[in-house]
Amino acid sequence: MSANLSGVRHVRGFDFAKPLSITVMIGIMVPLILLPLASIFIFGTSKGLDSFWAALKAPEAVFALKLSLATSFWATVFNVLFGLFAAYVLSKYNFWGRNAIIVIISLPTAIPTAVAGFSLLLLWGPYGILGRFLEPHGYHIMFTAAAIILANIFVTFPLAFGVIMPVFETMSKSLEEASATMGATRWQTFRFVTLPALRGAIVSGALLTFARAVGEFGSTILVSGNLASRTQTAPLYIFAKFNEGQVEAANAIAIVLALFSFFIFSILFFARDWFEND
Amino acid sequence: MDFGKAAVTLLGVSKSFGETSILQDISFSVDEDEIVVLLGASGSGKTTILRIIAGLETADSGMVVLHGKNVTNVPARLRGTAVIFQNYALFPKMTVAQNIGYGLRIRRRSKREIAEAVDRLLELVGLGSHRDKFASQLSGGQQQRVAIARALAYEPEVLLFDEPFGALDAQIRTSLRQEIRDLLKEIRVPSIFITHDQEEALELGDRIAVLNGGRLEQIGTPFDVYNNPWTEHVATFLGSANILEGEIRDGQFVADNVALMIDDPAKYREGDRVKIVFRPEDVFLRRPENLTQRYHPFCSGTIEHESFVGAFERVTVRVDLPGRQSITVVRPKTETAAFPLAIGQTVPIGLVRFRVLGKPKNGSGKGARTAST
Repeated sequence: MSANLSGVRHVRGFDFAKPLSITVMIGIMVPLILLPLASIFIFGTSKGLDSFWAALKAPEAVFALKLSLATSFWATVFNVLFGLFAAYVLSKYNFWGRNAIIVIISLPTAIPTAVAGFSLLLLWGPYGILGRFLEPHGYHIMFTAAAIILANIFVTFPLAFGVIMPVFETMSKSLEEASATMGATRWQTFRFVTLPALRGAIVSGALLTFARAVGEFGSTILVSGNLASRTQTAPLYIFAKFNEGQVEAANAIAIVLALFSFFIFSILFFARDWFEND
Repeated sequence: MDFGKAAVTLLGVSKSFGETSILQDISFSVDEDEIVVLLGASGSGKTTILRIIAGLETADSGMVVLHGKNVTNVPARLRGTAVIFQNYALFPKMTVAQNIGYGLRIRRRSKREIAEAVDRLLELVGLGSHRDKFASQLSGGQQQRVAIARALAYEPEVLLFDEPFGALDAQIRTSLRQEIRDLLKEIRVPSIFITHDQEEALELGDRIAVLNGGRLEQIGTPFDVYNNPWTEHVATFLGSANILEGEIRDGQFVADNVALMIDDPAKYREGDRVKIVFRPEDVFLRRPENLTQRYHPFCSGTIEHESFVGAFERVTVRVDLPGRQSITVVRPKTETAAFPLAIGQTVPIGLVRFRVLGKPKNGSGKGARTAST
């Protein structure tokens, strides 16, 4: 990765603007970003690694982490498949309302997560618009893992689509045409030509969706019911333990989530070139 | 219906997008082993013709016949044509070998058969050592050769070249053009090229079809189309041309006080307004010696401008006729040295070849092959 820097010099000799501006920039970042992140590691390990491990191995903590991973996984699978499908349809066909659909798919980015969770409650909750008809038959969607998946799907809906769609749009139409004249069916063209070209976008779209879903709090706290060992995800566990005054327990999970985010972010950052080329 | 031995036949193909007419009643055919070049400016409809033959576009009316089979309503993938795109359209995530083998893979041929075909084609296009590279690692000319090998792999009914050299440097373009022409003559696959480059058309085509505004204006051998253009557009698009207006009198072309004998005077009526066309190299500014062609003395003219353009000299001469139009004359170096000119000098103008614009009487123009010269 190389930066394209302009080399205009405004002064003779040593330019104080350079060290000064860099120092100011880092000075702003330290208290706002770096120190808070460092704190969870400093505090979490202050009582030794043993207590950190103990906090991590608590059954409730393990359950919360597993539930977060599982619900995020299914939301990711759904949103990547849907994003791929929607991008295919929208790039291939022009129809009335096409732009409206693109806006609607992108809309969840702009909606506060609490509003997203609340709206799901109003639809599927026991007294909700649809939920009230399911309730008598013994179907509960809200306050279950399914509710968490629905909330995750809602808030991460545009992410995979947003990464995949531009690749579709820049893909040369002649590739598909070449494939068709060579005898390929629509499916064969998709399978052998289109899909391989999308591999990088699909992987980054999935990682982005997954990372975002694992950290989801605002909508999950409304729809899950926050029941320990039943519907409590990792971010909810941090919130609950902190409220109960068990800071070490909250901190242990916070460290795991932070490390997890670093990990996914590094893949996205460094592996992009690798996905693009073979 | 009998389509003879033609590999490709288009019959009365028309196409419009909304209100805009793109093609009007296009008919021509391509024989086995033949290379036909569709020549036209952008917007002349040449790309649309190619896409209609490949099945990537459907005609509003008319018929497409490939090797005697009416494929007008057959989808692209079942037509067995091969398109070589200007941007090569190589599959980016496949190696050279995978690209070439794609058509056979789709046809569910055995791995061994595919590998053998790929080896043979790589040899043919001279890319044996690039087998496992990706398109992004090849030069433009190499990518175009892979595209051709990929097209040949499944033995297509016809090869369709969509401005195949448009994205290449001038030098590579010329050498690749000759190479591809030799290759096509060797493997004997009927081919259609589209281009807006007259030099490319003259060099590649067994026949050239000149398109203008969605109409096929003339089709014939390069020699025929160049020397006997039917329309002003064909005359000026293929090479440079001088055009003068006059009328038919006593079976001759007459402009003011000069007259030229014409070939088929019976075709015209007394008083018909006609135009003659002649090439800059068919004009002489003094009566040449040892001339094997017939020399037609014309009017006199005044030298207006002279410029040296490398291999020859270009002269602008104002003709001593009403309207005092300028014509362009080119002279070889030998002539320039033997007979220097000065601006303002008056010279006699003579023609060794000219043609009255218009279709020949026996040529229907509808896919008819002009008698070879």
